[in-house]
Amino acid sequence: MNRKWIIPFFMAIYLPLLSGCWSSHELKDLAIVSAYALDKNEDGTYVGTFQLINPMNVPGALQGGASGQNPSIATYTATGGNPLEVSDNASTKVSRDLYFAHTSLLVISEELAREEGLATILDAMERGLEFRTTTKIVISRDMKAGDFVQVLTAIDQVPAEKAIKSLEFTEKLYGENVATDLQKFIKAAVLKGKEPLVSGFTVEGDIEKAKTMEQLQSSEGEATIEVNGIGVFKEGKLMNWIEGDKNEGTLWVLDQIQQAPVNIDWDDKKAAISYKVVRQKTNVEAQTKDEKPVISVHIRAEGDLRVIEVPVNVTDPHVIFRIEQALQQKIKDEAEAAIHEAQKTKTDIFGFGEKLHQSDPDSWKKLEPKWQDVYFPALDVDVTVEAFIRRTGMRNNPYLFNLNKKSD
Amino acid sequence: MSYRKFLKKMKPKEQREDFKKGEPKSIGTSITENLNIIKQKTGNSPDIIIRMLTFSHDPGVSTAIVHVDGLVDNPTINEFLVQSMEDSVQEKLEEKDLFKVFSEKVVAVSSLETLKDWDSLFLALLSGDTVILADGKNEALIASTRGGERRLVEQSDSEITLRGSKEGFTESINTNTALVRRIIKNPNLWVESMNLGKQTNTDLSIMYINGIVDPDTVKEVRQRLGRVDLDAILDSGYIEQVIEDESSGLFPTVTHTERPDAVAGNLLEGRVAIFVSGTPHVLVVPAVMIQFFQTPEDYYVRFPISTLIRMLRVFMFLISLIGPAFYVAATTFHQEMIPTDLLVIIASQTESVPFPAIVEALIMEVTFEILREAGLRMPNKISATISIVGALVIGQGVIQAGIVSPAMVIVVATTAIASLATPNYDIAISARLLRFAFMLSAAIAGFYGIILGLIMLIVHLTSLRSFGVPYLAPFAPLELKSLKDTIIRGPIWSFNERPESLHPQNPVRQGKHQKPLPPLKRRMVRADTKEGDKNES
Repeated sequence: MNRKWIIPFFMAIYLPLLSGCWSSHELKDLAIVSAYALDKNEDGTYVGTFQLINPMNVPGALQGGASGQNPSIATYTATGGNPLEVSDNASTKVSRDLYFAHTSLLVISEELAREEGLATILDAMERGLEFRTTTKIVISRDMKAGDFVQVLTAIDQVPAEKAIKSLEFTEKLYGENVATDLQKFIKAAVLKGKEPLVSGFTVEGDIEKAKTMEQLQSSEGEATIEVNGIGVFKEGKLMNWIEGDKNEGTLWVLDQIQQAPVNIDWDDKKAAISYKVVRQKTNVEAQTKDEKPVISVHIRAEGDLRVIEVPVNVTDPHVIFRIEQALQQKIKDEAEAAIHEAQKTKTDIFGFGEKLHQSDPDSWKKLEPKWQDVYFPALDVDVTVEAFIRRTGMRNNPYLFNLNKKSD
Repeated sequence: MSYRKFLKKMKPKEQREDFKKGEPKSIGTSITENLNIIKQKTGNSPDIIIRMLTFSHDPGVSTAIVHVDGLVDNPTINEFLVQSMEDSVQEKLEEKDLFKVFSEKVVAVSSLETLKDWDSLFLALLSGDTVILADGKNEALIASTRGGERRLVEQSDSEITLRGSKEGFTESINTNTALVRRIIKNPNLWVESMNLGKQTNTDLSIMYINGIVDPDTVKEVRQRLGRVDLDAILDSGYIEQVIEDESSGLFPTVTHTERPDAVAGNLLEGRVAIFVSGTPHVLVVPAVMIQFFQTPEDYYVRFPISTLIRMLRVFMFLISLIGPAFYVAATTFHQEMIPTDLLVIIASQTESVPFPAIVEALIMEVTFEILREAGLRMPNKISATISIVGALVIGQGVIQAGIVSPAMVIVVATTAIASLATPNYDIAISARLLRFAFMLSAAIAGFYGIILGLIMLIVHLTSLRSFGVPYLAPFAPLELKSLKDTIIRGPIWSFNERPESLHPQNPVRQGKHQKPLPPLKRRMVRADTKEGDKNES
């Protein structure tokens, strides 16, 4: 035969043999893991809970199936000496291949995070072929992580998605927590001059009932998953929680505010004026003066007025200027409070050390060994804030302003 | 070993019976004998009409006209030929040479010539000419009376355009060449005709523009046509298959068209057209791959629009090539690539499907191919039934029975539409065949397999030549100047050169600075619009 065809012929014959179908999986043979929860047993072994998506029951996917009538997830629990062993052991219970490429949520119990930290766990996730480094990490506060992934949720039928969405939206709209993924966590954890932050979640209500379909059959639900606080890590272990106003202050300094609201008091009225940030930039600069590190934080915010519950004339530039002044003070207070809190716990969550490392590597070398314990708590941080009101919403003066005039 | 050599080898050892062996080569003097030979050779076929004519003034002189019923234009024979023969004989009684009289006087027919050998006589007779024989003459007079019932010039069914000429070629070779001549009124438009096919004696013409076309290409076309020794040529497809560079490959290296404007455009770029009698499909050589994604209409609409449409066509071609393969690869190898929500939906659909994705895809593709073929060949009334059954079987039954997932139906339907959106059927059909190969390689090795397949495909395409022109020109080899008329269609005013890959003798197509410019003075604009306004209602 023609010699020209011999080589392509053999190539074609050997091609399937060489590669085979080793990585081929039919969709039917995959158990799509949406969330992976890790707890610790009394005997020191890990307890993993896998939240698997049950495609037939996910509403929107048509045909047959009892979509909406049965839980759209199934959970399995297994134990093991390390996260990989846990998932290997789980495969004795699950009829399919556990598939982690779509795992979007990693839940760690508070207990495990405090006692053992995340350092030993995360290697399995990072090294694995399927696990994504964009998987979000959260901590279940005062409860078992396994319970957390078993709670059903309305609207977003896959609970992992619900948790991630609330995480991302509260970060974006309220500036009250941080969405930390695997990659971000590891990056911050290995730096000497920075510590990672991880959001906490709690479930309020009857957890056992929330695991059944009863949860979805009432408008209220038996229990709700909610974002609650930011966990501060030091040396890979959970140290303490930041809560309330300090959350926002922390995010201001971290340059992670996107659309946060700022409420200020006016004429003795609490939260009389509400301001919504639409654009924000925080610059952190580190210097050394007389061998002492000095950090200056400059926050610049632009936004709109959203609520004015007091009769003020916002068409008057002087009034606007006074409101801006008050806003600046408020933001500055929040930021400083957050910094003081961090200094008290001796954890540099803002990465001031890293800034110093970049701007003055030589003195950083000297400061590094005692940075967290000695230098950071004593750090002199200068916070300056610029706040601008760009618009006053859909109207100028509040109707209260005209109302008062009428009564005069 | 090339196909042609193969053909030659397979040719039977004994030469085919030459039907003229041992018979007189040239025409004799006796009219009765000549007519007998004609009758004998045509087997007394009743459609060979022989009319004896005797002239009233001199009954001694007998002449005969012979023609084939249906191939000739009857009014021409009756009103002009016979009548004027009669008249001319009466006028010039003294003249001895009848044929000379006819030649001079019979002006009513377009051409007259004399022939002496039987071969040419029969060829002329069977082409629709009328043969005039006279007693005592050892030659025949041939009057051009070709005609008869033919299809009229109509819009082409296979190449429909919204803008541009609606004329399409017919089965008559003369009409076809005339249609092109009507577009290019230039003495440099040269036509060479020949006769091929041992049994069918099919008329063939090659057409090119002298001064533009590369003479080597014409020589090559002549040479390749000269080698053709087929028994029958029933369509230009016969010629196409024996003059192609690579006829065993999947990709066409000769284009064909039914539109005179497409032929004209190609001639002007320096290509050669081959007309074959009896088919409206005119071959155009050399062909490059990108041509199969172009239509004449592209040049009639504004360039951004036709650029977009051309890109769409290439995209559609890719979809029709690797659409199902992509789906199979993504769902069996690369589930991590699919967004979670989509993956859940696809997973829920395949949950009840008993087959692996590749089997699913093959079932659907094969079903679709069957439906397409069934719908194509059936009479219109039945094909409506087929489409209803097809829609029910594919669209509903298969899904409800849980044999194939809805997502797969969407993929196959998209692929089907995409393959129909490729303007040229020849290239669409190549993609149709290759699609199955890609599906299999995707099932074996995922995207890796698809990429391997694509690499092999591109290597194959770069190895192809069409009459010496690289098939992937102007991309490989790269010709920057010709790139503006490929996937993109540049503005008409920028087409200053003909495509380099065709080696045109005269590479300059048009004058420079063809880009329209607004008048320099603003005032002039105003004056123009004012005048225009007056004319408008």
